[in-house]
Amino acid sequence: MSVQTLPGTAADAPTTSRWRSLITQESVATLIVSVLVGAAVLLPLFTLVVSSFLVLDPGGFDTAWGFDNYKTLFTDRIIPRAFVNTLLISTGSTIVATVLGVSLAWINARTNCPWRDRLEPYNLIPFFLSPFVGAIAWHNLASPKTGLLNAWARHYLGIEGYLINVNNIYGVIWVTGIFFTPLVYLFVVGSLRRMDPSLEDSARTTGAGLVRTTMTVTLPLVAPGILSGAIIVFVTSAGEFGVPFKLSAPYGWETLTTQIFSKAVGDDANHYLGATMSMALGAITAFFIYVQQRYIAPRSFTTVTGKGFRPNVIDLGRWRWVAFGYNVAFILVAVVLPILCLFIVSLHPVWTAEIIPSDMSFRNYEKTLFFWRPDAIQAATNGIFNSLILAFAGASIAMVLSLVVSHMIHRTKGFGSRVLDFLCVVPIGFPGIVLAMGVLVTYIKTPIYATLWILLLGYITRFFPYGQRNIASVMLAISEELDQSSRMAGASWLTTLRRITIPLLKPGIFAGWVLLFIIFLRELSISIILYTSGTETLSVGVYYLTNFENEPLTSALSMAQTVMLLICILIFRRVAGREALTA
Amino acid sequence: MTTVSASGAYLEVQGLMKWFGSDRAVDDISFSLPKGQFLTLLGPSGCGKTTTLMSIAGLHGIDAGVIRVGGTVYTSKADGIFLPPEKRDIGMVFQSYAIWPHMTVKQNVAYPLEIRKVERREIDARVADVLRLVGLADMSEKLATQLSGGQQQRAALARAIVSRPRLLLFDEPLSNLDLKLREQMRVELKRIQHEVGITSVYVTHDQAEALVMSDEIIVMSKGRIQQKGGPHQIYARPINAYVSNFIGVANLLKGRVVGVTAPGRGDVEIAEGGHRVKLSCQLGEGVAMGEEAVVSVRPENVHAERVNGGGQRLEGEVLQAIFLGNYVDCRVRWGEFEWKVLAHPRDRLREGEKVYLRLDPEHTLAVQQ
Repeated sequence: MSVQTLPGTAADAPTTSRWRSLITQESVATLIVSVLVGAAVLLPLFTLVVSSFLVLDPGGFDTAWGFDNYKTLFTDRIIPRAFVNTLLISTGSTIVATVLGVSLAWINARTNCPWRDRLEPYNLIPFFLSPFVGAIAWHNLASPKTGLLNAWARHYLGIEGYLINVNNIYGVIWVTGIFFTPLVYLFVVGSLRRMDPSLEDSARTTGAGLVRTTMTVTLPLVAPGILSGAIIVFVTSAGEFGVPFKLSAPYGWETLTTQIFSKAVGDDANHYLGATMSMALGAITAFFIYVQQRYIAPRSFTTVTGKGFRPNVIDLGRWRWVAFGYNVAFILVAVVLPILCLFIVSLHPVWTAEIIPSDMSFRNYEKTLFFWRPDAIQAATNGIFNSLILAFAGASIAMVLSLVVSHMIHRTKGFGSRVLDFLCVVPIGFPGIVLAMGVLVTYIKTPIYATLWILLLGYITRFFPYGQRNIASVMLAISEELDQSSRMAGASWLTTLRRITIPLLKPGIFAGWVLLFIIFLRELSISIILYTSGTETLSVGVYYLTNFENEPLTSALSMAQTVMLLICILIFRRVAGREALTA
Repeated sequence: MTTVSASGAYLEVQGLMKWFGSDRAVDDISFSLPKGQFLTLLGPSGCGKTTTLMSIAGLHGIDAGVIRVGGTVYTSKADGIFLPPEKRDIGMVFQSYAIWPHMTVKQNVAYPLEIRKVERREIDARVADVLRLVGLADMSEKLATQLSGGQQQRAALARAIVSRPRLLLFDEPLSNLDLKLREQMRVELKRIQHEVGITSVYVTHDQAEALVMSDEIIVMSKGRIQQKGGPHQIYARPINAYVSNFIGVANLLKGRVVGVTAPGRGDVEIAEGGHRVKLSCQLGEGVAMGEEAVVSVRPENVHAERVNGGGQRLEGEVLQAIFLGNYVDCRVRWGEFEWKVLAHPRDRLREGEKVYLRLDPEHTLAVQQ
């Protein structure tokens, strides 16, 4: 073999000039993506800040600069109360989710509870379902008059009135709490599984008993994980719109999100006051996310080593059946009961808290799903179409963006990568409804308003960080030399991305795609702010039915959404492991 | 433009600087290499050898200097020239091998040719050729994940040479292999490089690897070149105490040159271990009359004898004698100084025995500190 130079290589490459050497595929792509992401993330927040200082005159025509909106936050008849309710709901559901999440994680990771491997996937199901639909289901289960559980209590136990009532702030705490339990679970279960067993063993050898070891060693070691999970639940609950909208707002317990909603749409719409309330809510959530990302998340790695330890499994003796019962009860209450109730209600023409087998039919499904029929409800059929389009396009675009952004953050070092890294955390700090308010005030006068594009923009901006984290976790596990060796083999940056990087990241890309697809399919709090007639989404369809039609129709569409989500979960489980969820 | 410079240098690196923050990873390095030669950059981790290699590869920019291959400027900070890595026509073998796990061995090796849009039939022929050369002919359809470490190594080498690049770069390619395989691959790598005749730069911290494979060795420390030379020269005539200690094992004693007896020859007075003696030495480069120097003697050049035969002898006591089959690894106490001595097994030195150490002036070297 002799050395010979091949065409298109160094020998006949022109000497690159000073400026041309700066213009590479990589640098151009980095610039474009940075500007796009920067604009998408920062523009709505900037407009939100500006709008919050615009005061609408009583006539509703002119605006002036001032702090009046901020004064209104304190002087309004409802807003201060809504603020307190939001904090109460967040605190309450954080407590519920943390207690349930930590105990279930401990049972699954560290005890000999029977069939715990089989139970785990079911513990995670609420994570993927819509809390709004959960609220509708619980409304059907435990309203004072029309709740199935209360009807049974009257019938079988002979109770007057009702046994439980979820149409209040406690109902909201309960439903949000059980729906966000998997968040805490996921943050804690990994640390519990990967903890070095010798840490506990050494406590046992000093004479500490099981309970004492658990309390003084195990739980403190997973404390950062618990705290992270708790903060995420607190912030997510504060930004949750569907549950308080369904269960508490109609009964006098407004929250910040329901108030923002009423200022964004409806008769007394005041976008500027809505923007100010969004600022208040965003300030709280951003603060907590900052604390979690900056101080707590980094610490959670110090207790856990990367080695694959076999954790200590605690023999619960006969108590293991109690643990099993506890876990099964959670699955029944969080998953089985609500879905079953939705299904039963959806089969009735009207719901009177009584199961009437002879009345049952699939009429409600025909009216909400069969768009070709003349009696089909437009908001529902539109919603399914639009949501499928948005979920498909949104997940695809967001994953392409995530791929390029992850590549820039983790493969090119320098100022640009730090800026992008920051931009990827910012959207997580703001609830969907807050970001949507920003998007609304930014783009309301542009042609994209009242189209699906504005929804797409809102979805991608708020949720692409989840896709980005999915890819980044896979990317960090793949040696950079795999990319570099392609460059050395003569492939350009783009060719390397296409032929080496993307094929290697395929599992991460697909898992992220399905996760985003699920999130977009059930999205409510962004959609509710940005939709107009014709651009309803699936959850907006549910909202429409619960507002203007009856419970059985609402339940039918909710059921359809739930079934679609359950199918996605099955796909997700096949392509991604548990780790893909702990973003 | 593509003419080879007058000196016959093919690879030229001039005044290379690379900073990471305020840390000078590579601090003004210059060297050149004739075509077809095998150069090793040798040094401990953090000496700047990998940074130098990455600069040649174009995997990062540089802060000063010029890199030229065959007369083509690859990087020139002053002229703002930076050829992207894919335009450099370089083959590279990485520490982790970087064999793409989603492709077969054949697909991995064919990749550089596909990028260069070589005809399919020629690709097949050349891939088969090169796989035969590295001894993977019957592995071509295997996935990278099914290969052993040594086989991945060979595949990585095949991929690096298949396009007959202008330059071949190795980033510690043997450090992940076990000792037996490493020793075998050293010889194999050298054979293949010799066969294809591609100018090569090899980075390692393993001095044995450097001695076995290289035409030229550059010993680096803290971002600077300590010495450049052939393996024999580097071993026999280290320029300073650092090189002497890094390459092989050496007895190092501090002293001062007290007399020059002939050009390149002189006496060094040692004040070490409670003794004050004069040793007749070869004077290394930059070692002059009256200056401080370090005397360096390889253990195999120290002879431990039971009788005092006169001449340059040092009296000591055997502290330790470890039998290792073909030689005995000895420690001999001389005051507070411990000599490392390689003795022949038939001498049967015993611990506690009194011996006389004979130093051959031909192999007793005074070098810079």
